[in-house]
Amino acid sequence: MLKILKINPGKLSVLLAILVWLALLFVDLVRVFGIINELESGIRDEFTWVLEILFFVCVYGFYNYSINKGNQINFLGLIWRAASTGIFATGFSLLVTLFYSSLGDSKLASEPFLKNFFYHINFALTSVFLISATLLWKNLILYQRTKRVVKQWQAYEFALLIAMFFIFFNQNTLDYSFLFGMVLLIGFGIVLSINLKWIPYLTFKEKWKSLLFLAIIIFSCAYLFTQVLSFSDRSEFQVNLTDNLFLVALFGFIFTYALFGFLVTLFNLPTSSVFEQKLTEAISFQRLSQSIQPDENEEKVLDILMDSCMSASFSDGAWLELSKNSTQTDQVLQERFLDHEVQTEISALIEQNKTAQKWAEDGPLEQLEPLNLRIDHPKFESALLVPLVLNKAAIGRMVLLKEVRDGFNKEMISIISTFVRQATISVENHRLLNQAIRNERYQEELKIAQRVQKALLPTELAHNDKFNICAFSNTADEVGGDYYDTYQLDDDRFVLIIGDVSGKGTSAAFHMAQMKGIFQSLIQLNLSPSEFMIRANTALSSCLERNHFITASIFVINTTKQTICHARAGHVPTLFFNQSNNKSEYLGIDGLGLGILRNKQYANHVEEKTLTYREGDVLVLFTDGIVEAKNKRGQEFGYERIRSLLEVYHQLDPKEIQKKIIDSLHDFVEGDGLIDDDYSIMVAKFQS
Amino acid sequence: MLEIITIEENQSQLLQISGEIDASNSVELDEAMQKAFRSGHKHILVDGEKLEYISSAGLGVFMSYLEDFKEENISFKIYGLNARVFEVFKILGLDQLIPIYPDKTAATSA
Repeated sequence: MLKILKINPGKLSVLLAILVWLALLFVDLVRVFGIINELESGIRDEFTWVLEILFFVCVYGFYNYSINKGNQINFLGLIWRAASTGIFATGFSLLVTLFYSSLGDSKLASEPFLKNFFYHINFALTSVFLISATLLWKNLILYQRTKRVVKQWQAYEFALLIAMFFIFFNQNTLDYSFLFGMVLLIGFGIVLSINLKWIPYLTFKEKWKSLLFLAIIIFSCAYLFTQVLSFSDRSEFQVNLTDNLFLVALFGFIFTYALFGFLVTLFNLPTSSVFEQKLTEAISFQRLSQSIQPDENEEKVLDILMDSCMSASFSDGAWLELSKNSTQTDQVLQERFLDHEVQTEISALIEQNKTAQKWAEDGPLEQLEPLNLRIDHPKFESALLVPLVLNKAAIGRMVLLKEVRDGFNKEMISIISTFVRQATISVENHRLLNQAIRNERYQEELKIAQRVQKALLPTELAHNDKFNICAFSNTADEVGGDYYDTYQLDDDRFVLIIGDVSGKGTSAAFHMAQMKGIFQSLIQLNLSPSEFMIRANTALSSCLERNHFITASIFVINTTKQTICHARAGHVPTLFFNQSNNKSEYLGIDGLGLGILRNKQYANHVEEKTLTYREGDVLVLFTDGIVEAKNKRGQEFGYERIRSLLEVYHQLDPKEIQKKIIDSLHDFVEGDGLIDDDYSIMVAKFQS
Repeated sequence: MLEIITIEENQSQLLQISGEIDASNSVELDEAMQKAFRSGHKHILVDGEKLEYISSAGLGVFMSYLEDFKEENISFKIYGLNARVFEVFKILGLDQLIPIYPDKTAATSA
C-alpha cells in the first residue's frame, strides 16, 4: 500500500496518459478493422469519448504537477516551453503531410490503419500542446495574483471541465449549442487574457525573445487549428476526436493570450528602457541604504553613489571631491571616464562661471539643490554640481558631466538628490556607528582607570586600639583627584593625610597618583608635617601642570603622648571635636597649596601646630567637595553644617559619624548625582 | 555663566569678572589673563565684585600667572571679592601671594 502511494505522480500520469492513448488507438483500429471486414465491432462511440476525457485529464494532471514543481517563475522559460511543444506538434504534422504527398497515389497512401495511426498521434500532440500551453498561461496570468483573478481562473477551469463532457450532450455535431459554448468559453478566455503583468519585468532583450516565442505559438496554434478543421471534413476517421469543444476553447484561449502578449510586448518595447531604468534606480537606492555595515568604509558608499547617479542621469563623465576643512583644499576622490587634466580644466571653468560662484556664495547649508550648468568645453557641454551635505555641513561635491547641452532634466536631478541624501545618511550612520564603537572602547578604558585608581586608596587604615578610623571617597566622574592615606611610623605614631588635586577627571587622577607616590616615599623619612609639605611642594613643582595645584592636610598622631602635630597646605580646614568643652571647631592654621609657589619661598608659607587630645575627641578630615556641594537653590552645604553635625553625633562610632554626615549631605543636595565634584571624608575618634 | 569685560584705564588693565568660574569655563579666564599679560600694561586689576564662585580650576589660572607677573614686574591686584570667594582664596593661601583689597580705591591707592 505504502509503496504505491510513493509513486511519483508525474510519472504515474505520463504512464496513464500513454496507456489511455494506446487504448484509444486500439479501439479505433478495431473499429476500422471491423468496417473493412464488414463486421460490427460493437464498440460504441461513448467508449472512445470516455477514453478521450481520461487522456485529457492525465495530460492536464502531468503538466499541472510538472509546472508547479519548479516554483520560481521564469517567464521566458515558460513561454519557451509552450513554443517548443508547439514546434514539435506542428513539425510532426508537417512531416506527416510531407510523407503523404511524397507517396502520391500509391497503395500505402490510402492505407486506413496508417492514416488512423497518424491521426491519433496528431491528436495526442495537439492536445498536449494545448493543455501544456494553457497551464503555462495559467502561471503567467496568476503572476501578481489578486483574489478576483484567482476566482476567474477557477471558474474558467470549471467551465473547461464541463466542456470536456459536452460531447455526450451534443453527440459530436456542430450545432447551436456547440457554437454557444464555444463563444462563451472564448469570451471567458479573452477576459482572462488581459492579465499580462509579467511583461514589464522583461528586459529589452528578453522582450525580443518572448516576441519570437509568442510568434511561434501563434503560428503553431493557427496551423494546428486549420489542420483540425480539415480533419472534420474527412470520413475515414470513425470517431472524430478533434471536433471537441474543450480543444476548440483551448485553441481560442491560447491564440488570444499569445496574440495579446505579442502585441503588448511589442508596444512595450520602446518604453522598456524607462522601466528598466526605474528598476535600476530602485536597486541603487537599496544598495545605498544597505551599505551601512561598520566594516565597510565611506568610499564604498560614495562609489555606489557615483555609479547610481551616473546611470540615473546617463552621464558621460563625473568626479567626486571631498573638502578638507582644515586646509580648504579639495581632494578629488573619484574620477569616472575622464582624466585628471580634463577634470582640472572643467574645475577651472566652473570656478569662473558666475552662476556657480553665486551658488557657492549663497552658502552650502541652504543650497541643498544641485546646480545645472552650461559649460564651454570641447568635450562636455553640460555639468551638474551636486553638493554632499552631511550634518548641515558640506563635505564635498559631485560633478556630473554630459556631452550634450542641457542634458540633465528635472526627474534626473530629483532622483540624484534622493541618492545623495540616502548616501549621506549612510555615511553619517557609518560615522556615528564608528564613533559609538570608539566611545565604548574609551568607556572600557575609563572603567579600567577607575579600578586602578580605587586600588590607590587604602583598603585598611593604619591605627591601633587608641583610636578608631574610617574613610570614604566618591568621584564625580569615573576617576577623580581626591586622595587620602595613612601610615604607621612606629608603635604609637601614625600619619593621616588627605589631599585634593585642583580640577577633576583624568588629569586630576594622574596627579593624585603622583601625590600617593610622593606621600609613600617622603613619609618614610620620618619628617615633621611642615617639612613634609616643603619636600612635597618641591617634588610636585617639577611634575604638576602649570595651572594645577594640590591641597593637603597632614597629621602625625602620637598615641602615647596624646598629641596631634599637623600642617595644612591650602586644604580646607580640619574639624576637631573637643570633648572637654563639648564643642567642635576648625583648626586654624595657615599654609599655601602645593605647587602654587614653586621655589624656596614656599617654606615661608607653611605652618606647623601641635595640639593634645583626650579620650572622646574626634578629628574629621574632608575635601572641598562636601563644603561646596550645592542644593537646587544654589546654597552650599558649608562648614557650619558639618560642624554642628559633629557636635550632635560626636558620641557615635567614626563609621556612624561619617554616615550621618554623608546622609545629611545627600539629603541636602537631594540625590547623589547632583554633587558635581569629588568628595572625601576621614573620621578618627580617640579612645583611652 | 561667566562674563569677563576688559577695560583699559589709567595705563592699567582692568578685568571685570561676573558670574561663576569652574572647570568648564576657566579657559575663558585664562584667555583674558593671557591678553592682559600680553597687553604690556604694568598694572593688572581684577574687579571681583560680581564674582559669585570660583573653583580650584579658576584659582589655578590666577596662580599660573603669578610667576610671569613677577618676572615682568607687573603688579597684579584683586579687589571687591565677596566673603565666600575671599574665603576660598584665603584657605588656599593665595591671599599671601596676591594682594587682595576690599574695594577699587584701596587697590589703586595702595
